[in-house]
Amino acid sequence: MAAMAPPAVWLPIADLAAWAALLEPLSYGFMQRGLLAALMVGALCGVVGCYVVLRGMAFLGDAMAHAILPGVALAYLLGMDLLLGAAAAALLVAVLISVVSRQGRLREDTAIGILFAGALSLGVALISSSRSYAVDLGHILFGNILAISPADLRLIGGLGLGVLGLVLLLYKELLLVSFDPVLAATLRLPVERLRLLLLVLLALTIVAGLRAVGVGLVSALLVTPAATASLLTRRLASMMRLAAVLGAGCGVAGLYLSYYLNVASGPAVVLLSTVVFAVVYLGQQARRSLP
Amino acid sequence: MSRAAASASPAPPTPTGAFLGEAAQLGSEHLGPAHLSVQGLSLRYPSSDVLALDSLSFEVPEGEQVALIGPNGAGKSSLLKAMVGLLRFQAGTVKVHGLSFGHDRDCVAYVPQREEVDWRFPVSVLDVVLMGRYARLGWLRRPGRADREAAAEALAALGLADLSDRPIGDLSGGQQQRVFLARALAQEPHILLLDEPFTGVDPVSQERVLALLAELRERRVTVIAATHDLELAAERFDRVLLLQRRLLAYGAAAEVFRPETIKAAYGHQALLADGWLLVDRRIPSPSANAAGSGQGGPS
Repeated sequence: MAAMAPPAVWLPIADLAAWAALLEPLSYGFMQRGLLAALMVGALCGVVGCYVVLRGMAFLGDAMAHAILPGVALAYLLGMDLLLGAAAAALLVAVLISVVSRQGRLREDTAIGILFAGALSLGVALISSSRSYAVDLGHILFGNILAISPADLRLIGGLGLGVLGLVLLLYKELLLVSFDPVLAATLRLPVERLRLLLLVLLALTIVAGLRAVGVGLVSALLVTPAATASLLTRRLASMMRLAAVLGAGCGVAGLYLSYYLNVASGPAVVLLSTVVFAVVYLGQQARRSLP
Repeated sequence: MSRAAASASPAPPTPTGAFLGEAAQLGSEHLGPAHLSVQGLSLRYPSSDVLALDSLSFEVPEGEQVALIGPNGAGKSSLLKAMVGLLRFQAGTVKVHGLSFGHDRDCVAYVPQREEVDWRFPVSVLDVVLMGRYARLGWLRRPGRADREAAAEALAALGLADLSDRPIGDLSGGQQQRVFLARALAQEPHILLLDEPFTGVDPVSQERVLALLAELRERRVTVIAATHDLELAAERFDRVLLLQRRLLAYGAAAEVFRPETIKAAYGHQALLADGWLLVDRRIPSPSANAAGSGQGGPS
């Protein structure tokens, strides 16, 4: 039994080692910027992702991320700011999806599927005309959070503040339009415009996430932390808070993991949030199966 | 200011002084005798050649409770939806307090037959009822203490006070229906439109709804309720409106429940014998949601 007692000596040493492990990457400027970006993008994607999860827009989010590719590619070829190209493309896509889905001649997911595949192909075709094709495409598809510049950070911060501000200001309107469009219509709320606004907020969030994890993985950041939060709470406000914390936490921790395991940063962040989801999900299943 | 305007009208519509919309700003002279006036309302669905509602005209005085009856497909739901702005109609006017459509967003409440919402949505019962206050709050403002009190009162009136913190998805069907009635009550409407409030609910919920109607009568809230239950229509409402795409009869139950009007509305679905009326609701129709059996009522 005596062997079970914790050895009092190594704990402080382990603590020191842990602190060193946490602090060491911070001595690099690129890590500081990357961590800040992961924090902001994770929190933003978590909050906006709540609407993606609750409104069943997961496919739409993924499609929108890919449909932005031509804008990014064009900006890249013209030597313009990539995120500005992405933002312009994202807004265009948001409006297009809203128009197509309102006409109702095609099922919405069919229309999105067509738009998404066409835009992705156009984007890849455009990039393939450049010489450093493989490297560039890799960065655009999967992001490069360690190459984030101070200007990128400012743009991500600005987009994040704007989007979060609107989500907070219009909290009850967006909640009503998502939960009960019939009541929203009888109260004469502009239901269609609020829907479009949600699409625009989603598009801007995707643009902010683009630099960090790329078009291929930004939809995972939107869906996974919010889905994990939805398992843990049944109030929208607390779901948003929890998803923000989970997103930011997985962003930062994933980046540390990628630093020490020497794996790509975007996938590390997404894999970590997937593992967190799996643990929560299985934990709840196990608890439910107990008598 | 708005409360003063409300109480200056001949008969104050609700004890809580619910005039906060345009109606209040326009003054009491607009609050004419007819709370609700429908003139020449015609509605056609885009996919159809036939009028779903054919030039309906009627007026409902303030505080009256009207049962809207008619066979399946008669247009009861369409009429309610048109009056609340969910369906666009091609001709006619709907006026509330003599004012045309659009000003009424905080004084007309509507409860559909069955809410088509995502029951897994992370909102509590209280959250849902607070949505009834949104029109009153306007943009950007959050519900305050007065709104919480109104919501709690509405929940208590429908026997849901104990459930207010529960997720909406955890409630039974009848309880969920009552939550949406509580939400309509929290809107403090002058006119309440109910689509089939007695269909598919448990006896407890039905009693609650009937008690609510009595309470609304006290508050002089105008009620129009679509129902298949002719007995309730005859016994619990001031007037009955018999609809079969056109308005066939409108008045006290004794005037409406006559052999010729019932025959005209229900055709072969109705059987009149020995002073009794039998109406068969088993005939399948797109709008039939519950397999109702014969419904008896005095003719």
